[in-house]
Amino acid sequence: MAASTDSAEVPVLGPGQTYATVTDRISGVILTKETPRGWWIGFGIAFMVMMLMLFSLTVLFAKGVGVWGLDNTVAWGFAIVNFVWWVGIGHAGTLISAILLLFRQEWRNSINRFAEAMTIFAVANAGLFPIIHTGRPWLAYWLLPYPSMFQLWPQFRSPLLWDVFAISTYVTISLLFWYVGLIPDFATLRDMADNKVVRRIYGVFALGWRGAARHWAQYSRASLLLAALATPLVVSVHSVVSFDFAVSSVPGWHTTFLPPYFVSGAIFSGFAMVLTLAIPIRKYFHMEDFITDRHLENMAKVMLATGLIVFYAYIMEVFFAWYSGNQYEQFMIYNRMTGPYAPYYWSLILANGVIPQLLWFKRVRRTPWILFIIAIIVNIGMWLERFIIVVTSLHREYLPSTWTYYAGTFWDWSLYIGTLGFFFALIFLFLRVLPMINMFEMKELVHHLSHRGKEH
Amino acid sequence: MTRIQADEKLLKRLGSYQKASLIVGVLGILVLIAGYFLGAEDFFPGYLIGWMFWMQVALGALVILMIQNTVGGRWGLIIQRVVEAATMTIPLLGVLFIVVIIGIPHLYEWSHAEVVAHDELLQHKAPYLNTPFFIIRSVIYFVLWGGIAWLLRKWSVKLDEHPDDAATRKKLRNLSAPGILLFGFTVTFASVDWMMSLEPHWYSTIYGMMFGVGALASGFAFSIVVLMGMVKYKPWSGIIQTLDVSDLGNWLLAAVMLWAYMAFSQFLIIWSANLPEETTWYIARTTGGWQWVAIINVFLHFFLPFFLLLSRGTKKEPGRLKKVAWLVLIMRFVDLVWMIYPAFSPGKLAFPWVSLAALIGVGGLFLAIFFHQVAKVSVPPLYDSRLPVTQASEEAHGHVS
Amino acid sequence: MSESVYGLIARFDTPEAVVEATRRAREAGYKKMEAYSPFPIEELTEVLDFKPKIQYLVLIGGILGAITGFALQYYASVIAYPLIIGGRPFNSWPAFIVVEFELTILFAGLAAVFGMLGLNGFPHPYHPVFNAKDFNLVSRDKFFLVIESNDPRFDRDRTRAFLESLHPEEVTEVHP
Repeated sequence: MAASTDSAEVPVLGPGQTYATVTDRISGVILTKETPRGWWIGFGIAFMVMMLMLFSLTVLFAKGVGVWGLDNTVAWGFAIVNFVWWVGIGHAGTLISAILLLFRQEWRNSINRFAEAMTIFAVANAGLFPIIHTGRPWLAYWLLPYPSMFQLWPQFRSPLLWDVFAISTYVTISLLFWYVGLIPDFATLRDMADNKVVRRIYGVFALGWRGAARHWAQYSRASLLLAALATPLVVSVHSVVSFDFAVSSVPGWHTTFLPPYFVSGAIFSGFAMVLTLAIPIRKYFHMEDFITDRHLENMAKVMLATGLIVFYAYIMEVFFAWYSGNQYEQFMIYNRMTGPYAPYYWSLILANGVIPQLLWFKRVRRTPWILFIIAIIVNIGMWLERFIIVVTSLHREYLPSTWTYYAGTFWDWSLYIGTLGFFFALIFLFLRVLPMINMFEMKELVHHLSHRGKEH
Repeated sequence: MTRIQADEKLLKRLGSYQKASLIVGVLGILVLIAGYFLGAEDFFPGYLIGWMFWMQVALGALVILMIQNTVGGRWGLIIQRVVEAATMTIPLLGVLFIVVIIGIPHLYEWSHAEVVAHDELLQHKAPYLNTPFFIIRSVIYFVLWGGIAWLLRKWSVKLDEHPDDAATRKKLRNLSAPGILLFGFTVTFASVDWMMSLEPHWYSTIYGMMFGVGALASGFAFSIVVLMGMVKYKPWSGIIQTLDVSDLGNWLLAAVMLWAYMAFSQFLIIWSANLPEETTWYIARTTGGWQWVAIINVFLHFFLPFFLLLSRGTKKEPGRLKKVAWLVLIMRFVDLVWMIYPAFSPGKLAFPWVSLAALIGVGGLFLAIFFHQVAKVSVPPLYDSRLPVTQASEEAHGHVS
Repeated sequence: MSESVYGLIARFDTPEAVVEATRRAREAGYKKMEAYSPFPIEELTEVLDFKPKIQYLVLIGGILGAITGFALQYYASVIAYPLIIGGRPFNSWPAFIVVEFELTILFAGLAAVFGMLGLNGFPHPYHPVFNAKDFNLVSRDKFFLVIESNDPRFDRDRTRAFLESLHPEEVTEVHP
């Protein structure tokens, strides 16, 4: 027989793993009384940064959105930039779970759980910004369609309302998808826990799961259907976010390829964040057998592919601005490249367009610390991209007398950094109380791999 | 190394298809020539539509081939030789492009100096939209696509003989990954040149992607039609499993969904912003009878294949999948008519009959080369362990030389 | 019978063993049985001849979502609060497609999750099989086959002997 392909060189699972070792190894991280010191340090820092968010929110609620750097011209600033950035990060989880499940990619199994967790925490952060940027967040329920005493109804032609539906659907489905995936693992934790209280708690969440074959059949079918539903949902969510910009008539926002461009950017940043988390986690918890170099390499490839689509968009943006012959479009690009935000623009091109080209090299994809650095750079680059899109188009609007320069204030930055603390605090809690890798799917993988071994 | 020929019956069938295609193609071309000299109405727009249909099938095949070489699984190995053969028609399509070059004055408003002289916007675009540069660009596209296709074919056939040749295997991959990127750019510019610039004032940034995804759908639909037609014959009968059929069905589904997603995005964004310089494109295509074509396009190019492909039944049954693929192929042609022809007949439904002659003429020659190329080499690629070809065909047939 | 039993349970070490045992039990004419495993095994579903029905619920959910989505927007924008915005028609169907799509996915997704839970009878905190010896290993690395006592062919001794013949690790009784 012909030589095997080189994708088989690095396995998706370390050698010698059995059903029992997989279960014990993954559940062992949670079912222990000893919380590692590193966890306490990490969680402590994240928690303190989260306090910054709460402080910043308090100031915002007490004084109003005037504490931010917004003005009449740049009415959308950090809040929208951060919203889009967080939603984008929240795309990798469901994508990994759903699309890779549909295409039966085995390498998804060990990363899907915490990618999904990451998704939910990121979307929670994202959901915060549109609500607080309204200035009177306690009236946020006005966004919902209900028969009110004002006899008013929301305006369904507005993409901002589409966002409400898209994001809340996305949160609901992602959360349910995540929970459904956790049910059999909750049962494992229930059965393995020594402590009675712990057993009770996990038992409640397990809903009485007992691994019956008929249950598994309904369960697998439901998971597959959820995956099939979640895939177009993921694409639609960031498309709707892009409609917030694209259906307006602002140069730089109103362009027809914005939906696929935003979706690619979202996947790009989502995978960058998964790598940012996965590389230190697998090192710290010694999970190299489960999150192998093959996983890192595949994620790097997805990053390369989506990064190239984003790069294509940057180039086409320039070409079509010229081709359109529209002076506003042309000025928009000219202003990005040479205006007051030019350093941001060129850093963005460097971070998202140039540096990811290193991922063409196998050695880079196989070296975790370089991947880690590239992932962080891409995270920053994607934030800059949203900043450029939002701010450069607004601060030089059609009316030159309104032109201005926008910069975030202390409260803009403190809130943004604070949400990072919130995100990481949730990630740390997740690592301590829930299995970071899907145990039953890993056992399924052991089963499949052992079968394949027999055939050859 | 062994070489798995198709079984005699299949070879015979391919041979007769090839002959029939050639005859039909030559007849079609004769009708076209007659049409030209008899002064058929809208000869060039009609020709552009028919030629474009086969061009995008070949382009779809090329990108599928490159995707297969980069990330493909079993599904990719199964259609590899079919898409390879389809890409071998790119030189022919390049030669047939000469007709479009001859037709530039009839097709493209921007080629007329007197029109440009009174149009500021066209003057602005003149550095890009002018006849010499248009031809140069097209030649570059054909050289790039044809070159990539030729190299990929050469290496793939070479691997049949020397399956352990790791260097060639690597070359396949190393050309294909950047090839996809190159494909993205060239297809965007090609679609701008050949189709979007028919209405030179209008532009849409998603146009290139939408065209590329449409080509991808055509490539899959075409490959499925061919492959599901061969499924009864050895060695395919011993190789293709239900899972492969459903994988191909899923790819077609994904391509159709992506196409619909992009078409809808463009429509919604232009509809919502409601800018006069953009809505013209849709007004030309949704008034005076064209709206019915648009509605048919929505239902038969998206909804019907979508729901059919969603059901597991369709994706298990090669015959049913083939029918859906036929539907998608036909609708690709309708979509091209809808995209191209309203530029010449805005807001007034009309059908250029020449496009059918071109579809048949170009198609006949295309298929003659295609069937020749399919029969020429081992039908399934032999070099990949993921496709256990040798055992399967030996069990099924034993026709191993 | 001295003491009522829910059934007899056999423990196996490998998925192949439990699939084979289930097949043999079916062939022997037993009807009321259930296999338990730490992960889904497709062959078990086939052997038990079980067809999941969840997809119909999801389809219904999706259709309901699509109808709700359009009806809600049509009612709000055309009937309850007709207001001209940006010169667009009251029934701005292109703009309504987005929310309609989201609600289709939402309803179908809810149907998938709650349909799965409902069809499986969850939450189901108590079940006799939890009393079986070492059953807590079902979520770790062991595989079980239970033949229930309400099966017409069930007989404490003969069924036990039958199960013993399938090379299990152990056969025990399950008490309700």
